[in-house]
Amino acid sequence: MIPTQLRQELEQRVAKAITPREAAVDVMKGLQRHYGWLTDEAVADAALLLGLSPLQVEELATFYEMIYRRPVGRVVVHVCDSISCWAMGGETLLRHLEQRLGIAAGATTADNAVTLLPCCCLGNCGNGPALMIGDRLFGPVSPEQAAAIIAGHRESR
Amino acid sequence: MIKLIIDNIPVEVPEGTTVLEAAQSVDIPIPHFCWHPALGKAGACRVCAVKMLDGPVKGVQMSCMLPAQDGMVVSTTDDEAMAMRKSVIEWLMINHPHDCPVCDEGGECQLQDFTIAGGHGIRRYDGKKRTYNNQYLGEFIEHEMNRCIQCYRCSRFYQEYAGGADFGAMGRAAIVYFGRQDDGPLQSPFSGNLVDICPTGVFTDKTARFRARYWDYDMAPSVCPHCSLGCNTVPMARYRELLKTTARRNDHVNGWFICDKGRFSNAGVNTPERPRQALVDGKPVSLDEALDALATLLGEFLELHGPDSLAIVGSTRMDLAGNIMAARLREMLGAGTLCLFNDTDRAELTGKAVSLLTTENSASQEDVRSADLVVLVGCDLLDEAPMMALAVRQAWRSGARVYAIAPHPALLPEGEGTQPPLSPGERVAEGRVRGPLPFKFEYIASLADVPLAETKRPVIICGTSRQGLEALKNIQSAFALPFTKGGSGGISSSIETANPPQSPFDKGGLQPEPKLAFILDGPNAFGCAELARQHHGVALSAALADGRIKGIISFEADLHHELPQGIAVLAAADWRPTGLVARAGVVLPTTAWVEQEGIYINNEGRAQRFKKVMNPGLPIKGLTPELHPPRVHGIDAPGGDVAPSARLIALLMQRLGEAVVDEPLSGPWKALKDLDATGAGVIINQREQA
Ligand code: SF4
Ligand code: SF4
Ligand code: FES
Repeated sequence: MIPTQLRQELEQRVAKAITPREAAVDVMKGLQRHYGWLTDEAVADAALLLGLSPLQVEELATFYEMIYRRPVGRVVVHVCDSISCWAMGGETLLRHLEQRLGIAAGATTADNAVTLLPCCCLGNCGNGPALMIGDRLFGPVSPEQAAAIIAGHRESR
Repeated sequence: MIKLIIDNIPVEVPEGTTVLEAAQSVDIPIPHFCWHPALGKAGACRVCAVKMLDGPVKGVQMSCMLPAQDGMVVSTTDDEAMAMRKSVIEWLMINHPHDCPVCDEGGECQLQDFTIAGGHGIRRYDGKKRTYNNQYLGEFIEHEMNRCIQCYRCSRFYQEYAGGADFGAMGRAAIVYFGRQDDGPLQSPFSGNLVDICPTGVFTDKTARFRARYWDYDMAPSVCPHCSLGCNTVPMARYRELLKTTARRNDHVNGWFICDKGRFSNAGVNTPERPRQALVDGKPVSLDEALDALATLLGEFLELHGPDSLAIVGSTRMDLAGNIMAARLREMLGAGTLCLFNDTDRAELTGKAVSLLTTENSASQEDVRSADLVVLVGCDLLDEAPMMALAVRQAWRSGARVYAIAPHPALLPEGEGTQPPLSPGERVAEGRVRGPLPFKFEYIASLADVPLAETKRPVIICGTSRQGLEALKNIQSAFALPFTKGGSGGISSSIETANPPQSPFDKGGLQPEPKLAFILDGPNAFGCAELARQHHGVALSAALADGRIKGIISFEADLHHELPQGIAVLAAADWRPTGLVARAGVVLPTTAWVEQEGIYINNEGRAQRFKKVMNPGLPIKGLTPELHPPRVHGIDAPGGDVAPSARLIALLMQRLGEAVVDEPLSGPWKALKDLDATGAGVIINQREQA
């Protein structure tokens, strides 16, 4: 069950939209903030709020890579693996971070602190290699800078 | 009209045609996966590349996305375009299993065809393939996701065209999954079309997997017998077993699709319960002996009880010729009552509905698809005529408003009214409950509230129920439609009234006259109504009520009510194991529609011919070595001593002394003799007028 206040907020968001579907991303993000990731329960909640079927929410949820359909750590690091960042050493960056964190791309550290995800273009090509944590973009970053940025986020949580 | 040149051939096409369709119009095939005539373009597969040599656009282009324009010079054989198509196919094949021999789609697979056509023959990629888990999608459709090439036809059909919400495309980029959120039967009553439209073997008909290859099937153009709409089909049979049914394109009727009831109701043809042996008083005899016995029995019966004691019962599920011959038998005997309908209501309602239809006002499914306003009156489309619901959805998708008047209880929101149960034969999917209609509509109290004046192509769809009849009366007064049939003779259903009522459409064409579609009861209900009118047929219930009937002979008839015990069933001809067959003195096994040629007249009055698909006889599957191969010499297969009802009646008439029995399609029905099974069909009053 989601708190009444959140439900009302989301209902208002849907009511403002011309078609409910266009509010889907905001609704999924709102629910994700609440649950930590978009749980099966959250998919069902979103479907009810949006007047869609759970499958239709699933279609959208699995399309957007900032919507997490599996549990994630407290800090989620998106490392761009698209072509511009790749040309600027994005691959090396990702390898380094895997080593530092002791996890493979896609996994979460044992203390549940950090999830490392390769992602598609962040629109930050001029500053490759780039990464993103929450709503903040970083780039260009060296492996050392990236490690420091992640460490900083880890502490602040 | 737009003029362009494709492979040196000048082509002229209407505006809005794509280059791909323009090429098809002069029989130049261009490979395509994502483009589908009913679904339009998606630009997802990139396999339809052509080279634009001259004109407003240059270079390699996707022919499905490009509207034809004046002055275009197109090459489908240009090296660059061919190289592109070859590469696209190679990349589509990268993840595809290389196991066509063990794939049920093999032989009827567009991916196979276009891979060969595109010139990709040798695999270069030796990396790991992307693989998926398959889902359980119910008892009718098998899922093999590894075969997917991401053309998005399935999800576009399922959600956009058919309005389903439990199946779609999940994921992104290199991992796109077409399925349900969880395992479970597909909910859409049109789900079977996934089998037809998927260009590869992701969806195959589970009811007949690995039973035959495409080139093994007995196939012929046919017509669906499972409701009054007459959707066009291609049934596929092998070794005397009806295995599958697929949709056959008819732009006026079903378009490219059929419903699941039409696709998955094949078992009745193959069932061991089916009557295949002629019987006299329970004793097996040959068909000829049974007819001899019936001729004698009939003579004695009429002598004993008099000419008014007999009912000759036809049926709305029997083809036109059978019903015509039933009427001729009555004429020849000069005795008996012709009963083509079970009860008075049904006979009256169907007769009225048919009398209201003219060539101009009868709405085809295509008219419904292109309507800009649809009114539903007392019908339950998903139960009685599923494809009509799909047609209404297409109108609704293009902006038509849909209204429901005099709501059928099943149309009411959940909790209001009672859901009439689906009859068991129609429950095609286990666990599938009839869902909501696949379009939005408004309830409206009466037809007067429908904003007809603002529309150009309104259609009223009406059930042949009491509510429908009541509303019809309102329609009649609201629109001044003539309610009784004038004129007579022939098979014309055109309406000529001496004093045409004042119609709002007469005066300056303020409002367009709405087209009408009736949902009738049975694939040949229209034909029966017309025959009943010509031959003064009486509903069986009325004939029985009169008390004079002592015995009946029935042809492919289903009775809604138990026949009173005092009534003798002299003979029953059928291919279904009905109660009448069980009671009949003489049992005459008939062919099923797929085992004979015939004609059904659908709900709009469209006569459509269906061809013989397969030879009758016990399916070889299930026969023990004692029975197969047969040990007795004969020209018929075991269980194949059956005949179409029309033929049985003709043989009976010969035995009763008719020197020359005219073939059924003579007299007023003569013009249907040359009806082409692959054409659009013929609206019968149109034919009359021509
Ligand atoms: S499952 Fe078939 S129809 Fe659907 S996207 Fe894949 S190949 Fe196309
Ligand atoms: S709508 Fe009727 S005629 Fe058409 S496929 Fe379904 S059952 Fe057959
Ligand atoms: S058919 Fe043209 S891109 Fe798929």
